[in-house]
Amino acid sequence: MADLARRSFLTGSAAVAATAAIASKAGPANAATRTAPRIPDVTVRSAAQDDPTEATLAEAAVLLRSRRLSAVELVRAHLDRIDEFESTYQAFVTVLADEALAAAKAADRNRGRGGPLAGIPLCIKDNYFTEGVRTTANSFIFADFVPPYDATSVARLKSAGGIVIGKGQMGPLATTRATTPNGTITTVNAWTPADPSVDPGGSSTGPACSVAGRLATSSIGTQTGGSIVLPSNQQNLTGLKPTMGRTSIHGVIPLSFTRDHSGPLARDALDAAIMLTVMAGPDPQDPRTLGLPALPDLITAALPVRQHGRVRLRRPTTIGVPPDFFTGVSADVAALRHAFLDTLAKISGARVVSVAYPDDWSLMTTAFNNVRLAERTEPFRPWMRQDLTLFGVSLLSWLQGFLLSGDEWITGQRAKDHLLSEVRTGIFGQCDVVLQTGPVPFDILGLPELAFPIGFTKSGTETIPAGTILGGQAYHEDRLLEVAAAYQAVTDWHQRRPADPVQAAARAAVPRPRIDAVTAAASSQ
Amino acid sequence: MTDDELDTLITTRLALSGIDLTQLPVSPDPVTGAPTREQAMESLRTFLAGPKTSGTRAGGVVGSINGWHPPAADNALAQQQSIPLEYPSITVAWTDGKLS
Repeated sequence: MADLARRSFLTGSAAVAATAAIASKAGPANAATRTAPRIPDVTVRSAAQDDPTEATLAEAAVLLRSRRLSAVELVRAHLDRIDEFESTYQAFVTVLADEALAAAKAADRNRGRGGPLAGIPLCIKDNYFTEGVRTTANSFIFADFVPPYDATSVARLKSAGGIVIGKGQMGPLATTRATTPNGTITTVNAWTPADPSVDPGGSSTGPACSVAGRLATSSIGTQTGGSIVLPSNQQNLTGLKPTMGRTSIHGVIPLSFTRDHSGPLARDALDAAIMLTVMAGPDPQDPRTLGLPALPDLITAALPVRQHGRVRLRRPTTIGVPPDFFTGVSADVAALRHAFLDTLAKISGARVVSVAYPDDWSLMTTAFNNVRLAERTEPFRPWMRQDLTLFGVSLLSWLQGFLLSGDEWITGQRAKDHLLSEVRTGIFGQCDVVLQTGPVPFDILGLPELAFPIGFTKSGTETIPAGTILGGQAYHEDRLLEVAAAYQAVTDWHQRRPADPVQAAARAAVPRPRIDAVTAAASSQ
Repeated sequence: MTDDELDTLITTRLALSGIDLTQLPVSPDPVTGAPTREQAMESLRTFLAGPKTSGTRAGGVVGSINGWHPPAADNALAQQQSIPLEYPSITVAWTDGKLS
């Protein structure tokens, strides 16, 4: 392991030394251009050397760059697991085995001339347009839809050398955990493959399961009401929902125009930083991405800083803890959250403080969450007029959107301004980053959130991952990554992988339960 | 407001937009998973006026939204507060921290 790291270092460029120098410096990471991010020469763990499906994206890139691994070997290793376990996981709507192998062969032929993601197999949520590949959003509406172009995020990942190994299962139209359009559960939690009743998180369920189950090295999802951070928490991943406008959502089937975000579900903070760096930046096709602050150097932000052998935060950071952080959860989860804060507080540069919510927090983030429903109704009106059953299990919240008036829409947008003011001057007057007990408030405001693992808990007889969500100020994703990088440098939750499904073929024959329309509406993102 | 009155409001509003709830099944349809007509109507009644408890509905989403206005000493001053922001975080960037 050490030998590999040393040789990778020696074969790398001067940028490696620059990275190391930056990593040891205090202060925020320097701004970087969007193009051609360099993946640092991380030390490759022995598990990843033995099995490339164990590797993080950064580790896989180092193995490929140092010619210890070919793209074909990496992609084939994931396809082998798909062959063996996909009947149980059901993480994909479409697997692109032949196309992925062809792309891997091309990557090997062009070795050294590809982009930073050259040869890396990725799962793309099935609401991203993929040129020439069916894009269903798990809905009857798009059952036969083949987009004529790639979504901007997909195009950027492919341009960087990423290989689309498949389209990830999702809640129909990005609402719930992944089901077929009629509500039949598809994707399981990779940590409990024999029990489909365990929540795998949604709606980016397939991307999460594919990475957790080692069917893809990394993935992208979308989030309107927690759909990146919640499946990341449920399946032991690091998921980054960026600030609105940081990534383009051109070519993503809409759920709520003002709240749809695209971002990665990844294996650790560094992988999330790499993926977001490739995806981010202005896109003339999406005006929301224009005229915004430059992308910070997220990759450097995601590298831990050590001083005298001890991990410290890149910059002094005050972490806010809201009043409900220990309530409304099981005693096990509350204990994990206490342990998490204890660990965090011991990291040099971290200061943990209690923060208060404004008096009208609940009204602003629950009743006013419904204002979004008109946004899903409007772009789908042609299909609603045509045949309501096309919406399958998802219909009810689309109907609700018809019953909000224009003046109520305006009130909802004014409430966003009020809530933003409360968060900026109230919560962020007390801290730099704040822990979240739910994703909705920062989805309403378009502020960034980072989910990462903090331990394991019980769900019935099953052991499942537990995670937390950290929220940040607009366009300060680097601050979130700095905290997660330090925490992940002193813990190993993020390096744990679930056991393989047992008797995959037999499990595949077990019928999956179905959720009904009323349940779907109650849990809709 | 009675359920009959809510039903009239709902069906009329949907009809004006060209939506026909009779497309929905009267009993559960596992093939499409679509809700029944009654499930749809009850969902919409609850959305508008709240869940029915002891024969009455205490208020739904519409009431919550309509009951709020920006905090201010009176309505004339409230009008001057909280302009509509569709994209709050983007506004933060565009205004470069100049928001009050």
